[in-house]
Amino acid sequence: MKKRVIGIAALVAAFALAAFVLTGCGGSSSSASASASASGESAAASAEASGGVFRTLDEIKDSGKIIIGVFSDKHPFGYVDEGGEYAGYDVELANRLAKDLGVEVEYVSTEAANRVEYLETGKVDVILANFTVTAERAEKVDFCDAYMNVALGVVSHKDNVITDLSQIGEGDEVIVITGTTAETYLTENNPEIALKKFETYANAKTAFENKEGVAWANDNTEVIAFANGAEGFTVGIEELGSLDTIAPAVSKGNTELLEWINEDMEKLGAEKFFHAAYEKTLLEVYGADYEDTLVVEPGQK
Amino acid sequence: MANEGVLRIEKLRKQFGDNVVIDGLDLTVQPGEVVVVIGPSGCGKSTLLRCINGLEEIQGGRILLDDDEVDGRSKNIAQIRQRLGMVFQSYDLFPHKTIIENVTLSPIVVQKRPKDEAIAEGEALLERVGLLDKRDDYPRQLSGGQKQRVTIARALAMKPEIMLLDEITAALDPEMVHEVLDVILDLAREGKTMIIVTHEMSFARAVADRVIFLEGGRIVEEGIPEQFFTNPKTERARAFLHTFEFAAVRSHVAQED
Amino acid sequence: MELLGLDVLFKGSNAMRLLQGLGVAVEISVISVVISLVLGMLFGVFMTWKNPVARVISRIYLEIVRIMPQLVLLFIVFFGATRALNINISAELSSIIVFSFWGVGEMGDLVRGSLESIPVHQYESAAALGMTKGQIYYHVVIPQAVRRLIPMSINLVTRMIKTTSLILMIGVVEVMKVGQQIIEANRMASPNAVFGIYGTILLLYFLVCWPISMLARHLEKKWSN
Repeated sequence: MKKRVIGIAALVAAFALAAFVLTGCGGSSSSASASASASGESAAASAEASGGVFRTLDEIKDSGKIIIGVFSDKHPFGYVDEGGEYAGYDVELANRLAKDLGVEVEYVSTEAANRVEYLETGKVDVILANFTVTAERAEKVDFCDAYMNVALGVVSHKDNVITDLSQIGEGDEVIVITGTTAETYLTENNPEIALKKFETYANAKTAFENKEGVAWANDNTEVIAFANGAEGFTVGIEELGSLDTIAPAVSKGNTELLEWINEDMEKLGAEKFFHAAYEKTLLEVYGADYEDTLVVEPGQK
Repeated sequence: MANEGVLRIEKLRKQFGDNVVIDGLDLTVQPGEVVVVIGPSGCGKSTLLRCINGLEEIQGGRILLDDDEVDGRSKNIAQIRQRLGMVFQSYDLFPHKTIIENVTLSPIVVQKRPKDEAIAEGEALLERVGLLDKRDDYPRQLSGGQKQRVTIARALAMKPEIMLLDEITAALDPEMVHEVLDVILDLAREGKTMIIVTHEMSFARAVADRVIFLEGGRIVEEGIPEQFFTNPKTERARAFLHTFEFAAVRSHVAQED
Repeated sequence: MELLGLDVLFKGSNAMRLLQGLGVAVEISVISVVISLVLGMLFGVFMTWKNPVARVISRIYLEIVRIMPQLVLLFIVFFGATRALNINISAELSSIIVFSFWGVGEMGDLVRGSLESIPVHQYESAAALGMTKGQIYYHVVIPQAVRRLIPMSINLVTRMIKTTSLILMIGVVEVMKVGQQIIEANRMASPNAVFGIYGTILLLYFLVCWPISMLARHLEKKWSN
């Protein structure tokens, strides 16, 4: 029995030691590792002081650094260029916000699936990752003013441009990619339209280029990029269904930061910052024709 | 063999659950004596040896080596076991060690004897069991009989006062039995104290000072081998010995041309 | 070159970035593997205890390790700890904690398996030679258990290294994430980058795991003599 007690004590001690080692390693590894990753001293560190999970505007200013979650692999919205620098339409705004606040910016690479979590746990101050405003998400995070429009779009062959869904005849098929908003929307709202479904973007693209289907419905940014990149196609319907917007988001209740961002974005809108950002980052993909469709200048009508 | 201990077993009781395996057994073994324990399987003879070596918890009585009690749970059991050399049926050499390492491991790490001395003695023991040429082999390169001879040398390397041999030829091919038992006969000739559990009746007869017939966890009969094997006193011993004999079922007359 | 999509490797500092990403993956794996090996040994011994409390504890631990996908564990430690306990753990430390938690469990079970595969006769023979419990483990049981353990634990280690690609989900930019970044940044200019980059990553993982497998084979050969 006595031996067993000693054994347990040894085990506990071993785990304690491991925890100590872990902490030591963690500390050094976070400072040594790639600059792009979340560091040990993230936003949540001072969360207790402010009472909430987030950092207040003053805390961000005092720390001299704002932590912003962006995509690192969604060209041309948020990506890392060959020099290892974050770039893209979202990043243009992020850089400018940091500059106006007078602080450095630290980027955290986020995934579509964990953007809400990052804000809910205060591990970032702002999410600027092509974040579409939805009622469901608005229950968990606070959205700032929008800086971009997003909707469904329909691309068709130049010799048979579809500008309205009513032009689609009985024997015609519309191509969609399984699991996309376009598939859901058409199934719910236009059940009479026959859909030809593909699992991947590449398969849908090849089929459509080979004259399968009269039209292809997808996010308008996607169909616009496709029409610009291939010969003989036109986006006949630029906005279908409800018009959604893309906006920065902050942790729920971080009103101070939210208001500051909105004020700053309004100023940026006045100087046509977002058109400039479009021309710098999105123009080569979407072309000049869609600039006004996609870009929103906050506070400007 | 000057200061060898006397082994005394008093009212030993061992049970597995409700199953009584050894039932109030008394036995004293004097220095230099060779005691052979025989009996039908399940009679408790292997358990008896395991109890003597403290490998089994006992439920009653006591086992004394001189004045030291053998108790598997006591602190000094490792020390007492150094005085008792045990060889098992399944010749368990340490597979990751060479033959000489098997023999010298315990003298070096347990008895803290100088390495050179332990190796020299180990080599002498291997010589004695006829396996010095296998010194640097690994156990799996040896036959069953050779392995069992090494096991005996390994037990002897501890310079035990009493050897406990538990059916050491039961797992061997018949042609290997002799080479192992010859080693034991040699030890007996030298006057080594031994308690031997075996099914080899002719070996038992040859080696024993005293034969103990065990059944149902009790000593049913004991005596010197000549008397026990030729004229057992009890019916049960007679019946047991009879199981080793076969009556001829065919008659053969030598034919001459 | 362009057809294979390898051209993007030589753009800017892309190749260096991939190597840095590999460095992050290797660093996290190595720390986790060392912790897993050391604590896994202790846990494995703990698992062989007959004590019912020890049995229940190790059973529950092992089941959690087996049932929970590593991704869920990463989210629990990285986000959950902040949510529930208001402790902020960096992404790298979260990864090390999760991989060690996983590794200690799996390693412990391997150790338990190899300890239990040592026949009871080995313990008894050693005990009969007067060895103490500690001597039995040190000289007889552990050397044999380690030999049985090597191939299986190497398998675990290479699995752990490969699974580090999951940590991109909590924002750690390791080799896989760098690869995705390069592919996406060049989607228009070099559509074939996907082959070149993933091929390169495959090669990098191979270069890390191959020496480990070779070491294991060497040890196995050495001990089978």
